Amino acid sequence: MSNDQLHHLIVMVNQISSNLHHTGTDDEAAEAVAGHLKKFWARSMKQMIIEYADQDGSELSPLSREAVAKLQKPVETV
Amino acid sequence: MLQYFDPGKPALNPDLDYGTPPAISEATVSLSIDGYDIEVPEGTSVLRAASILGIQIPKLCASDNLDAFGSCRLCAVEIEGRRGYPASCTTPVAEGMSVTTQNGKLAKLRRNIMELYISDHPLDCLTCPANGDCELQDMAGAVGLREVRYGFEGENHLAAETDDSNPYFSFDPSKCIVCSRCVRACEEVQGTFALTIEGRGFDSKVSAGQSEPFMDSECVSCGACVQSCPTSTLMEKSVIDAGQPEHSVVTTCAYCGVGCSFKAEMKGDQLVRMVPYKGGDANHGHSCVKGRFAFGYATHKDRIREPMIRGSISEPWRAVSWDEAISFAASRLKATQARYGRESIGGITSSRCTNEETYLVQKLIRAAFGNNNTDTCARVCHSPTGYGLKTTLGESAGTQTFDSVMEADTIMVIGANPTDAHPVFGSQVRRRLRQGAKLIVIDPRRIDLLKTPHGGEAIHLPLRPGTNVAMVNALAYVIVTEGLEDRAFIEARCDQSQYAAWREFIQQERNSPEAMEAVTGVPADLVRQAARAYATNGNGAIYYGLGVTEHSQGSTMVMGIANLAMATGNLGREGVGVNPLRGQNNVQGSCDMGSFPHELPGYQHVGDPDVRARFGKVWGVAIDEEPGLRIPNMFDAAIAGTFKGLYVQGEDIAQSDPNTQHVEAALTSLDCLVVQDIFLNETAKYAHVLLPGSTFLEKDGTFTNAERRINRVRKVMAPVAGLADWEVTMALSNALGYPMHYRHPSEIMDEIAQLTPTFTGVSYDKLERLGSIQWPCNDEHPEGSPTMHEVDFPIGRGRFAVTEYVATEERTTRKFPLVLTTGRILSQYNVGAQTRRTENERWHEEDLLEIHPSDAELRGIRDGDWLGISSRVGRTVLRAKVSERMLPGVVYTTFHHPGSGANVITTDSSDWATNCPEYKVTAVQVEKVSQPSQWQRHFEDFDERQQQLLETAIHGEKTDDVGVFK
Repeated sequence: MSNDQLHHLIVMVNQISSNLHHTGTDDEAAEAVAGHLKKFWARSMKQMIIEYADQDGSELSPLSREAVAKLQKPVETV
Repeated sequence: MLQYFDPGKPALNPDLDYGTPPAISEATVSLSIDGYDIEVPEGTSVLRAASILGIQIPKLCASDNLDAFGSCRLCAVEIEGRRGYPASCTTPVAEGMSVTTQNGKLAKLRRNIMELYISDHPLDCLTCPANGDCELQDMAGAVGLREVRYGFEGENHLAAETDDSNPYFSFDPSKCIVCSRCVRACEEVQGTFALTIEGRGFDSKVSAGQSEPFMDSECVSCGACVQSCPTSTLMEKSVIDAGQPEHSVVTTCAYCGVGCSFKAEMKGDQLVRMVPYKGGDANHGHSCVKGRFAFGYATHKDRIREPMIRGSISEPWRAVSWDEAISFAASRLKATQARYGRESIGGITSSRCTNEETYLVQKLIRAAFGNNNTDTCARVCHSPTGYGLKTTLGESAGTQTFDSVMEADTIMVIGANPTDAHPVFGSQVRRRLRQGAKLIVIDPRRIDLLKTPHGGEAIHLPLRPGTNVAMVNALAYVIVTEGLEDRAFIEARCDQSQYAAWREFIQQERNSPEAMEAVTGVPADLVRQAARAYATNGNGAIYYGLGVTEHSQGSTMVMGIANLAMATGNLGREGVGVNPLRGQNNVQGSCDMGSFPHELPGYQHVGDPDVRARFGKVWGVAIDEEPGLRIPNMFDAAIAGTFKGLYVQGEDIAQSDPNTQHVEAALTSLDCLVVQDIFLNETAKYAHVLLPGSTFLEKDGTFTNAERRINRVRKVMAPVAGLADWEVTMALSNALGYPMHYRHPSEIMDEIAQLTPTFTGVSYDKLERLGSIQWPCNDEHPEGSPTMHEVDFPIGRGRFAVTEYVATEERTTRKFPLVLTTGRILSQYNVGAQTRRTENERWHEEDLLEIHPSDAELRGIRDGDWLGISSRVGRTVLRAKVSERMLPGVVYTTFHHPGSGANVITTDSSDWATNCPEYKVTAVQVEKVSQPSQWQRHFEDFDERQQQLLETAIHGEKTDDVGVFK
């Protein structure tokens, strides 16, 4: 994983959070962000952001951190 | 009695000219013409009624796309009980009328008229380019003209000089009969008003602009005048060169998202001219300079005619057989997957190719590559439309037909410039504006629609780039707080809890036009006027373009637009709606066909097990349940070293995507880049396999335009390298071990219909019968759906979305004090690969930087100066055009020429929901310079080297193995 790639993912998730933060309660907003990632992000992107949140996570906004925590690590299929 | 309800299409023959336009009236009138009884709508002309009966009254100045004019008098008839010989074109039918179209007196009258015309007309019929297609000649024959008693010696116009300035048509006034059809076509059909009749009486002559050559006038070269000319006064140069075409095929234009129908008029396999087809439901016989004239690229010498391969991008190309190229591509892709994993390769479908071809490419990726790494150029244009409209209205498409605008009373155009980018629809909007509809334009630029000759009232909200959502919220605030909502519609059609949440949000003071004035820069009072007009002045219709989607809040803005339409009940009928103006010819289709990494055809999410099961059963493979990478994610992964192979069909990501240097770095990192294109485009310069593409003239298929209209594309000549694009994709799939065996694109459409709920009723047979079909087309709507959401939404109730304004991160600073926004112009198309290889280049040879006089003065900039434009990611050099069209602080350019490097400056900032790049907002600095930028010098070197590698391509023994893949 390159730093650029991770940096883009962090920017992206924080941008999603700032656009969805007004969705209902804090928990509902985190669900909305997590739902967005689940629906639109590729497996590798989800894996990277989850790993980053586990290991560091300092650049994630609070809402992004909560959302990523709700995200299940995608399994390898097919 | 022949009962004829005029608007009923099937009875009309689009190849016939009925003389005057149809009358739209429910009341009918009965009359008799030459003893035959007929019943027609009230308001129909006698000329048209006769024509419907099959009685052709001679005419010259009349045409059914123009209002009756009554100047040639050739269509005179006798009407029982009336005096004289009224012109049948200007005489409406009346109950009980009895008309005689032919008798001795009428014959004499017509012969006299023709005699006068011919006394001032060169009699060079045998060598005239219109020979075989001349109405004047036909009428001389029809009236039986045998002599010209006046002689040819008197004062005449025979020495008038030809104006050859336009590259596509010539104007020979010596052959003009001053019927005014060209002048009226320019006014009524095109709406440009570039032509006029100058002088009076015998001195009357057609004049472009103020007696200028056509090229110097306001003429936009749409071709409407050429088409309406009854003689060879206005004539296509291609017909002058080649002679009259001998057969024609109806097909669909491959330029913008309007999707005009054309008759490709042919001599053998040579395309002589493209004539807009009156039976086309998107364009009704109108066209623009691109579709009408700019088809020369199809036979340009730069076309790639043989498959080619090379080991690395520094090696010369090697021309090989199809078999060798396909095997080479397949083995490289397989080797890449074996080494770097299943997800290490992907593909990009083309919004220029057909639905069937796009469907096959995404199928190849999902089934043969075994992942969902498919994306398309809609990523960089209308992906926010998909997201925003699906979230709020339940379907990722515009709600109306183009014709619906003729019922609109208030037309709101946001971030779009239809007269340049969607010219035929632009002309239709202007027609409606001339009828008195109100116009609201939300755009930083003063677009040409605001200057519509004889247009009605117009409001321009010149907002700062990047503040769309602030603006749409302010409009909604006014609608809600001034009680202008359509409560009945909201209660009946929309989800109430989401509506309540939205309403609570939107009526907060911070969304008011007064509070937002500081953000948008638009006076609050003007915003209030616009909101009131949209909500209360009859039918309100919204049309929007990339000025909406290509922002960090593109998706939010699309939802904000849908909110406005729901709040005012402007949905579900003619004259209203939410309408994205799609960029490329088949961008709607490429989205419909499952090009996005998260959606299978018909916008069915890959995460849905039922959907996957249905596709899996027909395709015979298991489909990955996780979405794949989008284009920008592919680039990031390529640079990171995890994404190594890409198959690109008909798409030039190296020129069209933002942050060019980043894209170049990504493409250089690939082990296997397979490009299928008609030219060596910018992306192909980084490729290892180059597969010759085919133009729309060389294959069968369908395109879907911005109004969801599926139109047939019909083959008129053979593919230059033997295979159509769909055949190439099939060959690649077979070589990868996933079998595909379609014999004709119609079989691909049958599979699409089987798997896509909105296409269930679509087939080539039905398209043949109906001409075109607007999806959804299924059991519920067997003949398609012109207007969407008439009864309910696909998601049941409409969903209001809370649209918080979040300012873009891309802000002006002291270092980058100006905002750059990008766009298009009329004569060029997208990356220009096609139009740059035509005479259209004469209108726009280079991309210019438009800058407001005050910003120019501050920097000592004058027209034509070389300017260095720098952003935080790159720098390029363009020439200056000082323009009042711009807001102070905003500069503008186009991206039609690769060497301009417009996208060297644009950044990776993108829409939060879809990663659609923020092309419309880049903070830049502009200064005078004396030489090209470093990137441009690098571009020139690289371009020269790659052209050389192509020119010196090693041609082996050519094996004609096309048959193997058929």
